[in-house]
Amino acid sequence: MRRLLVLTAVASLIAAACGSGNPSSAPTTGAATPATSVAPPGTSASPDASAPTGYDPTAITGTAQLSGWRSSPEEGEALTQALLGFPAAYPNIAVDYKPIAGDYRAVMITKISSGEVPDLFYVNADYAGEWIDQGFLAPLDDYIAESGFDTSQFFDGYASIFKGKDGKTYGFPKDGNTIAMARNTELAPTAPATMDELITAATALKGKDGIEAPICLNPGLDRGLAFLYAQGGSLVSEDGTTEQISTDPSKVAVQWYMDLFKDGLGKTAAEMGSGWCGEALGKGQVAFAFEGGWVDPFMVSTFPDTKYAWAPMPTGSSGSPVTISFTVSYSIGADSVNKDQAFVLLSYLAGPEGMAKWTAGGVALPSRKDVPTPAGKEVLAESSTFARPGSGFMPGYVDVQKAFQDAFTAEIQAATYNGAAVVDATKAAIDKALSQ
Amino acid sequence: MAATTAPRTSKSREDRAESVAAYALIAIPMILFLILNIGSVAYALFISLWEWNVRSGPVEFLGLGNYAATLTDPIFLRGITNSLYYAAVWVPLTMIIGLGLAVIVNQKIRGRTFFRAAFYFPAIASSAAITILWIFIVSPEGLFNVVRGAMGLNPLFELLGFGPKQNWIGDQDTALNSIIILNAWTTSGTFMLFYLASLQSIPGQVYEAAAIDGAGPWSTFRHITFPLLKPGHYFVATVAVIGALQLFDQAAIAGGPGGDPNNSLMTMVVYLYNAAFLQFKFGYAAAVGIVLFIFIFGATLIQRRLFGQAPSW
Repeated sequence: MRRLLVLTAVASLIAAACGSGNPSSAPTTGAATPATSVAPPGTSASPDASAPTGYDPTAITGTAQLSGWRSSPEEGEALTQALLGFPAAYPNIAVDYKPIAGDYRAVMITKISSGEVPDLFYVNADYAGEWIDQGFLAPLDDYIAESGFDTSQFFDGYASIFKGKDGKTYGFPKDGNTIAMARNTELAPTAPATMDELITAATALKGKDGIEAPICLNPGLDRGLAFLYAQGGSLVSEDGTTEQISTDPSKVAVQWYMDLFKDGLGKTAAEMGSGWCGEALGKGQVAFAFEGGWVDPFMVSTFPDTKYAWAPMPTGSSGSPVTISFTVSYSIGADSVNKDQAFVLLSYLAGPEGMAKWTAGGVALPSRKDVPTPAGKEVLAESSTFARPGSGFMPGYVDVQKAFQDAFTAEIQAATYNGAAVVDATKAAIDKALSQ
Repeated sequence: MAATTAPRTSKSREDRAESVAAYALIAIPMILFLILNIGSVAYALFISLWEWNVRSGPVEFLGLGNYAATLTDPIFLRGITNSLYYAAVWVPLTMIIGLGLAVIVNQKIRGRTFFRAAFYFPAIASSAAITILWIFIVSPEGLFNVVRGAMGLNPLFELLGFGPKQNWIGDQDTALNSIIILNAWTTSGTFMLFYLASLQSIPGQVYEAAAIDGAGPWSTFRHITFPLLKPGHYFVATVAVIGALQLFDQAAIAGGPGGDPNNSLMTMVVYLYNAAFLQFKFGYAAAVGIVLFIFIFGATLIQRRLFGQAPSW
């Protein structure tokens, strides 16, 4: 009897271990397609891309799995709205939207390594170059040629980031954002037009009751690069092949930015107990913050009583208006299963209709010239005309960014404010990045 | 004779059946252990010898090239320094707190069951949630700064070089110590349980004899309790050092994968994560993992030499 019980227990364990795997996840309701109950019939039809036939996206059937991060509820809602129009245009393709929570890059790397890649997903400009070089993304040129998708409407500053060294296109920019100056209109009724005016206004506000510092600044290139450009500095040459951080204009620019901290005109958000400069602005801790359009939905939902307004990045000693922009692409994975369906979805979301719906949510700006600027974003959109890429414009930029930020943080925390140390550390990182 | 041999045959058949059942029961977890643990380590060792593409696999054989790179990588070396500093401070601190709590809750005091649960609770709470809570507590406007200000302790902190709105987690000089204090609080409950088990295995007669000889509480603790806890010290120290060298979640949540500010929260495991998932250098990350394994293994061997064989009485 005892033996029978033991053998039964063993058999149960074996059966449990070898039992069915996790049930496959059903399409999420987050796909926000009104016809989720109407699944597309059968297996996908995959038109041969090389066949000289007319391209008919409505004849393509199947599912396209869409993935990306969701940094705020407003962003999720905006994408939901954008996806609502897709089924009407392409009723034979179901969208399975699965946002990735947590560290997006880490999760995507595990998916890429296992070969289970979403069909369409976000790729940040920060690491687009690396992902293209590593072969993670599928080139879109054949699809573009076959479908006749008009890529000329993308702002070149955004689109160029997603071109590989082979000249092929590996993604379409889904949107863009430029860095502009958000000012608390009660503390700073007038927008400074130049950096000198900014310093004058900040000096007048220094020590004012109720604020932590006149300006919220970041110790990294994510904002510092805009100031570097404004003051005539640069990291690398236009063609991205030569280091320029050690040139005299760049050294002066870095020290000028450092002096904003040294003179007490700027503090980091962390020093003020805020998570980022948008929060510091909302709390009334600062009069000026340099951020992008993502501030708007955040302020509306979190700090509706704080009055603020946008103005372009002040012009610096370079004499020309300049700022930096950020973008993210929709890309198809090299191992994505439903590439045809994914391209249809991509061409919709990155096309004029889908992009208009997405940018109407206020989270980002259009990356296309033929999509109207959402209301309230005129300053940010105008900044696109003189914006330079804020990332993805050189290999190994993540390491360069880290080197700059680490050295800058060390200097301001040690209160030594030595810009030369930052230049040296950044130069070493740039040299290493360019040599690889 | 038949009567004496029959029971022995039945017994050995029963023993055999029990052995088969025992091996069968441990077969599955052992297979999983061999594949998922030993197999993973072996695979990591293999990957560490290559430049490895996440998608396509081996690109170029580097031999020990990845290991050589770790020796000259200033950020990884900083990670090693931080991990060793963390272990050197956090391990004894948490052992002392854990032992103290164990001695207290081992007494026959009212509510000791509640106190045992309360002290242990942080260990079972989500480390991510506790870390985020801690970040708020030690932020410039956080609870700690407010309370110390209200208690009039700011002048004392000024003497030590800390202003009234010190950003404990955002300052490169205090960030790692903030994590040490956080983890000392959350892990001391676990060590309390380990020590409690050891305390309760000390025979009561020893204490009776000490009492008869006129030993006071401190004397009893110093000459009897502490030495007899050697098995507990050995176990707790070994577990603590292994855990300390593997510090990741609190450092990564507080400082990000970059170990901000300025690599003050960069640990060996945070750097491994950085190398694998941000730089996509899986071969290099595997080498970092093997180096970490060597550190932990070496530390364990040293402890074994220091503490000797785990004694029992």
